[in-house]
Amino acid sequence: MNDTISSALRGSVVEDDIELTIVELCRACRTSEHEIELWVVEGVLQPRGESRESWRFGGDALARIRVATRLTRDLDLNAPGVALALDLLDRIAELESRLVR
Amino acid sequence: MKYKDYYETLGVPRTATQDEIKQAYRKLARKYHPDVSKLADAEARFKEINEANEVLKDPEKRTAYDQMGSNWKAGQDFQPPPNWDAGFEFRGGQGSPFGAGGTFGAGADFDPSDFFETLFGRRGAGPSAGRRRTSAQGEDHHAKVLIDVEDAYRGAERTISLRAPVEGPDGRVQMQERTLDVHIPKGIRPGQHLRLAGQGNAGIGGGKPGDLYLEIAFNPHSRFRVDGADVYVDLPLAPWEAALGASVDVPTPDGTVQLTVPKGSSAGRKLRLKGRGLPGKNPGDLYAVLAIVVPKAETDAARAAYESLANAFPNFQPRPNS
Repeated sequence: MNDTISSALRGSVVEDDIELTIVELCRACRTSEHEIELWVVEGVLQPRGESRESWRFGGDALARIRVATRLTRDLDLNAPGVALALDLLDRIAELESRLVR
Repeated sequence: MKYKDYYETLGVPRTATQDEIKQAYRKLARKYHPDVSKLADAEARFKEINEANEVLKDPEKRTAYDQMGSNWKAGQDFQPPPNWDAGFEFRGGQGSPFGAGGTFGAGADFDPSDFFETLFGRRGAGPSAGRRRTSAQGEDHHAKVLIDVEDAYRGAERTISLRAPVEGPDGRVQMQERTLDVHIPKGIRPGQHLRLAGQGNAGIGGGKPGDLYLEIAFNPHSRFRVDGADVYVDLPLAPWEAALGASVDVPTPDGTVQLTVPKGSSAGRKLRLKGRGLPGKNPGDLYAVLAIVVPKAETDAARAAYESLANAFPNFQPRPNS
């Protein structure tokens, strides 16, 4: 199905096909490089590369940073608070997926 | 337009102090934050809470809101009295909302109601003074797309509508709706994002347009459960099928397949169909989760069948440890 040529736009799957720079992430998630650096220090994100300029983030960083940005803004959390919340959300997701199985 | 009772939304009296308002907001924000809460109406509730806080946390907006009186009831038809905002720093109404550099603290996702916009204006709807002559890349845009599990097996197309600010020739920014046909690739998984380069908001002053990010979510399915790339389906069996083994039809999102149930299978056992989960470079697996359905003993023949079953297993211990 849908193998015929159509005019529909084709995108890239962020989590599978894309690596993002800190600049792209800032723009996509409307956050600052400083904030992303703080989350890297907390271990929320693990980019490849040595320096900030050469950092490359896996596509799954996008969803993580979006949540981190919203939690920071809406609940006034600091970076360690965001890291803790994300760890707990990961655990909840893991437990929920066990319920599915 | 309906009146909104922001005090009621935050659950505080009209006499609440700024600290009490902050406390009430924080408590509700933690409870209904869409990233944290699993409540079905979390997103809508959080929007209301955020909007109420946006007004009540700001002493000036709060005073202006209070001036409209306390006789209004939530949901009542409402028009703001003429010149209700006279003497305030912010300028309300459609003609003169906040421009760039407005004082909204709720961030880019803040999506105010008509009631709020009429009173306090809409961010970004005014002339973008100071930014007008510079060139800047358009903002990235985010939207969510709901698909069915079958769509992820076959690929699909979706028409999506986006509302985005567009700058007119006079430099005024207006919200415009546009629609896009988007191909959803085969093998996409729940929670993944599609990036459509250049389909975000228009650039300013010749700047490049931003990108569009689409978050993919799956509609709940009555039969199939998706976990990453793996798909689970319950497979009910008759007791004799589980005991003696059987070849049964299993529904998959991609059509029915035949599965051999080994003899002596118990309920809860998972039979894996390798590679029959979501397709892709690393395709997922499909798991048939066995359940045993016991027919009711409603006829003499059925009762006799159960009795002879019991007689055939005199030493069977369903509860070995009790």
